[in-house]
Amino acid sequence: MDNNILIKTEGLSKIYQMESAQVIALKDINLEIKHNEYVAIMGPSGSGKTTLMSILGCLDTPSSGSFYLDGVDVSSLDDNQLAEIRNKKIGFVFQTFNLLPRANCIKNVELPLIYSGVAKEERYGKAVKALEDVGLGDRMTHKPTELSGGQRQRVAVARALVNNPSLIFADEPTGNLDTKTGEEIMKLFAELWKKGNSIILVTHEEDIARHAHRIIKLRDGVVIDDFRNPNPVIA
Amino acid sequence: MIKIFEIREAFKQALDSIKVNRMRSFLASLGVVIGISFVLLMGWVLSGLDKAMSDSFKMMGVDVMYVDKHDWSGGKSWNEVRNRPNITLQQANKLIESLQSVELAVPVARRWQAEIKYGPNKYQGITAQGTYYQFGYTPGGSIEFGRFFSENEDQYSSNVVCLGWKVYETMFPKGDAIGKTIKIEGHNFLVIGVLKKQGTTFFDFIDNIVYMPLSTFLKTFGKFRRTFSIAVKAGSEENLDNARAEVEGKMRIIRNLQPGEENDFSINESKAFEDQVKIIRTVVWSVGIGMTLLSFVVGIIGIINVMFVSIFERTREIGIRKALGAKKRTILLQIVFEAMLLSLLGAIISFFFTSFIAYITGTIIIEYVPQVEFLSPFMPYDLLIIASIISIFVGIFAGLVPAIRASNFDPVIALRYE
Ligand SMILES: Nc1ncnc2c1ncn2[C@@H]1O[C@H](COP(=O)(O)OP(=O)(O)O)[C@@H](O)[C@H]1O
Ligand SMILES: [Mg+2]
Repeated sequence: MDNNILIKTEGLSKIYQMESAQVIALKDINLEIKHNEYVAIMGPSGSGKTTLMSILGCLDTPSSGSFYLDGVDVSSLDDNQLAEIRNKKIGFVFQTFNLLPRANCIKNVELPLIYSGVAKEERYGKAVKALEDVGLGDRMTHKPTELSGGQRQRVAVARALVNNPSLIFADEPTGNLDTKTGEEIMKLFAELWKKGNSIILVTHEEDIARHAHRIIKLRDGVVIDDFRNPNPVIA
Repeated sequence: MIKIFEIREAFKQALDSIKVNRMRSFLASLGVVIGISFVLLMGWVLSGLDKAMSDSFKMMGVDVMYVDKHDWSGGKSWNEVRNRPNITLQQANKLIESLQSVELAVPVARRWQAEIKYGPNKYQGITAQGTYYQFGYTPGGSIEFGRFFSENEDQYSSNVVCLGWKVYETMFPKGDAIGKTIKIEGHNFLVIGVLKKQGTTFFDFIDNIVYMPLSTFLKTFGKFRRTFSIAVKAGSEENLDNARAEVEGKMRIIRNLQPGEENDFSINESKAFEDQVKIIRTVVWSVGIGMTLLSFVVGIIGIINVMFVSIFERTREIGIRKALGAKKRTILLQIVFEAMLLSLLGAIISFFFTSFIAYITGTIIIEYVPQVEFLSPFMPYDLLIIASIISIFVGIFAGLVPAIRASNFDPVIALRYE
């Protein structure tokens, strides 16, 4: 297998079994994403974007088909191994930020490090550095409720990159932000990409998707388009 | 394999989570507070009871026994005891003269349910005892004020009396007893001494007593058809068995018993009260254990309930933690620790709560209900340790099911927006 391939799926599908009916959220997805790609997954609401991201992000398992991450067959891994992959290789940025409301910024950013057993001082140093990197060096001890939406999403970005993952998933990261703040967050992603990270961005907004270098379009759980963005927006 | 840091971090996360949800934490531990409070209060009462008992024994003298027609332990049937022949003064004196291994032996005559008057005050139900002046050398005859009666007063049948502590307290609340003349069953007596307080709480009937010279007693209340008992002081606790054996052997001879015949007298020791106390203990225990078990069930259900509410309230938080790399066991440990800490918190609250009750009881309530004097105004510290250990197990037990449930939450939750 090509060493440069980060993600490879073959015949991936996801079926949600409801009481009365079943929802086919993803159908026969075949994808290859290389290291250090900047990909946007687009599609209307309900097209399966989040479902795809949850499988690629090792949060969920497919109903059928196979998924290789860094050459490893993810379906062969157990819960603990998946948790370790999420912890070390993947960073998540969510639409609703998903910060722990009662913990301050430092504690929120430290969380992935806690779960990988980084010692206290090192952990603190890394969290401070990550917060400084997203421009929140002066907000360390604030709680999420004391921050604006844009600041909260920066904390989330800091948390996503604090453990040096190679792959960052962002599900509608600007969905709850105004345009200007959204642009600032997009700038952070561009920087991360320049540093060599792979970024998979889920969005339904054209403006946001244009930052990516490759765009994959979904509809009703099927890939309907997959193309290179000839001139990505430089944030 | 689970690592030390995981345990430590789970513990810290649990602590954080309890700290940020103060009110919920308090409510969760309330059931345990009730349960542990019962355990503590019960232990408190029992330890007070034990102490009251051993104090009373010490005061009466652990090496003292009474040879008597009656059996104090209540182990003999009433009929059997009633049909025993009286112990005559001659028999008593014969025993006293023949005993060799004991420090002291004196005859005692009793009149139950006597009435005392002083001025307009009447006090009923006291025991009037007549004995020799040597009784003043036993712990039971030790004096608080004044003096015990003398050999002379014994010889001349003087109408002098020493009051037991409770009689003194009741009749002379102002404390001016010595030198006063009181009436016992209509006869005048000069108060010459007050005995040290001996009984505590349940045993204070011991202090419901007056002592007078035996000759005075017989002159006043008559000497016929009377049974005597003999107070025997062994000298030391070690000599007790020895002394008992001698007393029994000599008494059997004096009473003309054939080998194989049952004793027609009892040798009563202060330990006989232990049986009485055992009954009280058993009552306290069975009520206490019942209440405790009940309240623990309530406490455990309370914690399980609050933990369930709490984990469902934090479904998203737990999902996020898992998305960020928390393993099942990480979450499991965190929730179990939370329940354990809540329960421990309950134990600590109950320790303060019951300590407060103990203190109030020992300082304020005692003024109105003197019977509570046997209770210590402080909660014994070893009970805190016991309570903490119990609460830790209760917490772990109660936290297990919610913890397993929470650890199985799906990390995908983190991606779902309501
Ligand atoms: N847990 C679930 N149970 C049942 N159906 C689901 C579940 N999650 C998503 N779906 C369905 O799967 C389809 C794809 O959903 P989703 O991946 O969230 O789409 P998108 O993120 O593009 O809006 C939708 O029809 C949605 O209703
Ligand atoms: Mg979605």
